[in-house]
Formats: sequence, structure tokens, C-alpha cells
Amino acid sequence: MSKVMAIGKKEIKGFYLSPNFYVVCFLCAAIFSWVYPNVLNKFAMALQTAVYQPDMPKQQLNIHYQVFLPQLNILNLILIFVVPALTMRLFAEEKKLHTFDLLLTSPVTSAQIVAGKYLAALSAIFGLCFLSFLYPAATAVFAHLNWAPLIIAFLGIFIVGAVYAAMDIFASSLTESAVVAYVLAVIFNMAVWFVGIGVDVVDSPLARQIFEHISLNQHLMALVEGTIRTNSLIFLGSLIFLFCFLCERVVESSRWR
Amino acid sequence: MIEVQNLTKSYGGITAIQSLNFKVNKGEVVGFLGPNGAGKSTTMKIITGFMAPTSGRATVGGYDVFENPIEVKKRIGYLPETPPVYGDMKVRDYLKYVAELKGVPKDRMAKNVERAIEKTSLGAVEKRLIQNLSKGFRQRVGIAQALVSEPEVLILDEPTVGLDPKQVAEIRDLIKELRGQHTIILSTHILPEVQATCERIIIIHRGQIVAQDSLANLTNLKAGQRRVQLKVRKAKAQLDQSLSSVNGVIGVQAGAGDQDWMIDADASEDMIERIASHVIQKGYGLLEITSAKADLEDVFLKLTYGSNQAATELEQGV
Repeated sequence: MSKVMAIGKKEIKGFYLSPNFYVVCFLCAAIFSWVYPNVLNKFAMALQTAVYQPDMPKQQLNIHYQVFLPQLNILNLILIFVVPALTMRLFAEEKKLHTFDLLLTSPVTSAQIVAGKYLAALSAIFGLCFLSFLYPAATAVFAHLNWAPLIIAFLGIFIVGAVYAAMDIFASSLTESAVVAYVLAVIFNMAVWFVGIGVDVVDSPLARQIFEHISLNQHLMALVEGTIRTNSLIFLGSLIFLFCFLCERVVESSRWR
Repeated sequence: MIEVQNLTKSYGGITAIQSLNFKVNKGEVVGFLGPNGAGKSTTMKIITGFMAPTSGRATVGGYDVFENPIEVKKRIGYLPETPPVYGDMKVRDYLKYVAELKGVPKDRMAKNVERAIEKTSLGAVEKRLIQNLSKGFRQRVGIAQALVSEPEVLILDEPTVGLDPKQVAEIRDLIKELRGQHTIILSTHILPEVQATCERIIIIHRGQIVAQDSLANLTNLKAGQRRVQLKVRKAKAQLDQSLSSVNGVIGVQAGAGDQDWMIDADASEDMIERIASHVIQKGYGLLEITSAKADLEDVFLKLTYGSNQAATELEQGV
């Protein structure tokens, strides 16, 4: 465990003590700062006119749907492209700079290497989610919020980020080139959303159920609405485990290839 | 301490090393010699558990490197060809990280890092980022990294590449100092380095061991023969024929300049006297005459680049 922490700590320092991470954070903050006030403003205007439209759907008067959900969608979009940028160096660069030799000749198991690096990636994603959480939290100054569904929604997006991180470190472990790792990771991240399209194209109810279950969207929506479903957690957890396991296999394979 | 049996590794269709067999005892310093691409690094990578052999086995401290890699890695400090350093870390932080990875206990951590820095004289740069260091310093950080866990076995792949002569001398002294406490394998193609540090030499060529013996035995391969270096004032082309007529001279070769000659002769006591008097009598003008042993360089060149015949001759000599 101490070795996992040693690797994790080193990588976390690599994120939080490097200017690159802060450039990414700055750009994300710039996007949020542009979009969030505008969405909030639109919502405030909608509330004012709602008095004259009694038949307006309730959802449109809910700040969680009208303001926080778009915020989470933007965060999700950002994560799809930013998580690969954060994780691409974790394995690919080590291989290229031959520092991977050090890890592979140290008394650490492949699982420890992957766990350490994965934890570091999670910490970076947590940083981004926290940054994005500041915007709804600041809204609490002049509006009444339900904290529990808000926090669960952000937990949901964090878990989705964790799924990306697992897929992306796997992508990084496959290649020596950071660019290839990045492109591969973005494609992985987008692919889990495209799987959901299957729901609309199949006829058999069973196949439809399967597609619904493996579509990330279904699981994220439930969490964003503030409900924690155990099947969602198990599904997302097993995705994370699967890709971390695959990554561990790739690292291990370099010992006998 | 280290035992290698029938070790073979092939990459695709190319055989990098073939049926290597050797043993390194505890506390020994062994030099791995060979031209580029001979399979030195491959062998070392297999011993460190970095890579698996195609067939055969290697053990370190009784543990098989493939079956029990973690135990093996605990006992090994390895400096690869490219020092495995992170550019974005400071020297001291990096060494501390490596010590953590190698599982050095917390109470010994600071002491070990201090010692590694001291041994490789990195004190002046310990707070600098590694990416800003020169190649020589990076190499030294690489050596410090191998030492930091105080391993029983040190495997150094070309440890003095990129260092200036003073640093090279320092590293050699360091290796001599470590002799006895650590078992050391170092690979190189710089011969004086081997002569200065190693007790035993393994020469590999095209993935096979062509000679393994102590330095003294290797350089005295041809028993009963000696080499004489001769320098004369007058450059004469016929000198070799004239010298060949001297009793006991086996062969005469032209040396570096047209005044220099190398003479292979039998080891009889008055050989030098006989050659000297011959040169003086014939009036060539004797400037210098010295007795030289066949040095490691000759052995190495003969075994690797020389004709196959010379190699087999030498092997029979062993």
C-alpha cells in the first residue's frame, strides 16, 4: 500500500505542481464563467415570467434542471477531452523517457503501479469537479438550494470522470506516443456515449434493455437527478475495474513479451 | 549470487542472446564486455526481471527472476542504458521517491538518500530539477538511484557513459569501494574501465559468451609467449625479415609509426638481449625496447572482431 501511495503521491505532485494542470483549470473556469452566469440569468428571467404562465411544466422552474444540469453537461464535455490530456502521459511518457524501466525493475507489482497512477488521475479529476462545483455553490448565496441532490449530481459526474480515467490510462498503457494515447482515449470516451444509440435502433425488448443498461447516459441521468441506484454504481464500478484490470494486464505483459 | 543457465532471448526472428551460462559469486565485480549489439543489455534486463527470457533461467540470491520477480527486484539496483530520471523532479525528491519504491524503511530513508548523494557527489545539484542537469549529472543521478536502496546486487549498464575523465575516475573508485559489500555486474565497451575495476570478465559477441575468466588469465592467454615493442632510429622496410632470423622470434609486425615494430617471441629469458644485440649489430639504431604483455584490448579485438580462427585458438588456450 505504501508503494501505491508513493507512486500516487509522485503523480499527484506531477499534476498539482505543474503549470499545465492550472492552464487546463483556468480554461475550464473561463468556459464556466462565460456560460454559467448566462444560463442562470436566463433561468431568473424565466422565473419572472412563470407567474403569467400557470401551465408551465414544473421542471422548467427547477434550478437543478435548468441551471445545474447544463453545467454538468458542459463539465462532462470538458472531461471527455481533458481527462485524456491528463492521463496520456501517465504511461506513454514513462515508456518514451525510459522511466518505466525504473518502475518495472522496482519491487512493485503491476497492480500497484496502475493503482497509484489511477488514484493520481482521480485526484486531478476531483480538482476539476471541485472547480466546477464552486459555481452552483456560489449560487447558494442568493438562492435556496437542495444540497443533497446537488452533491449527488456532482458525485455522479465524478464517477463518470473516473470511468474516463480508467479507460484513458488503459489507452495510455497501450502506446509509447502521448498523441496516440490522447486520440485513442478521446475515442474511448466518446464511444461509451455512442453505445446508447443502440436503444433507438433495436426492436427486441431484451436487446433494448441491455443497451439501456450499458449506456452511460441512463446511469448518469439517475445520479444527476439525485437518486443513487445500486445497479448504476455496480455498473460504473465494474467498468472502472475492467479497464484498470486491462491496464494492469498490459503493464504486466511487458515483463514476459 | 547470480546464476544464469542456458539463457536465450529472441526478438521476433532475431536471437539477441543464445544459451548463456555464467555464475557470479557474492561480492564479485564482473565486467560484461562486448561490441555494440552483442547482447549485454538484454542479458542485464533479464537478470533484473525487466524482461523474460525466451528459454533458460536466471536466479538472483536463489530466486528465479521470472517466478519470483519481486524478491529479485528487492535485491537489485539497476542502472539502465538511459538513466530512468524524471525531468520534472528535483534530485533529492527523485532519490527519495526511488527509495520509497524500493521499499526502504522510513527510518533509513533519509540516511540512504544522503549516502547516495554523497557517494555520487551530487550535493551541489540536489535541489535542482533533473531536466536542467547536464548529461553527466543525469548519469550520476542514475547511479545514485541504483545505490539508494543499498541493494545486494548492482547491475550497471555502461555506468560511465557521458562522464568527464575526473567523474569516470570517481565512479571507478566508487565501484572499487563497493566491491566486497555488493555483487556488481557492469557492462561496458571501454576496456580500461574493466581493467581498473573488474575481477572477472565475460566477453560476449553476437549473443554468445566467447570468453570468461579473470583479467590476469585473459591477458596471459598464450602461455610461453611474450611481445616485445621495439623502436629504431632508421626506418627500414627489411627490418622484419632481418629480425625473423633471430632465434626464438615467432612473428614481426609493423607498429604505429615506420620506426616501430611489434615482435612476438618465445618467453626465454635472454630474448630481449638477443633482439637488442641483433639490432645494434646490424646498425639500425636502437631507441627503445620494452616487453609488453598481450593486453586486454588485443584479446577483446581478437575475440570479437578478429578472425574466427584467432578466437578458437584463444578459447583452446583457456
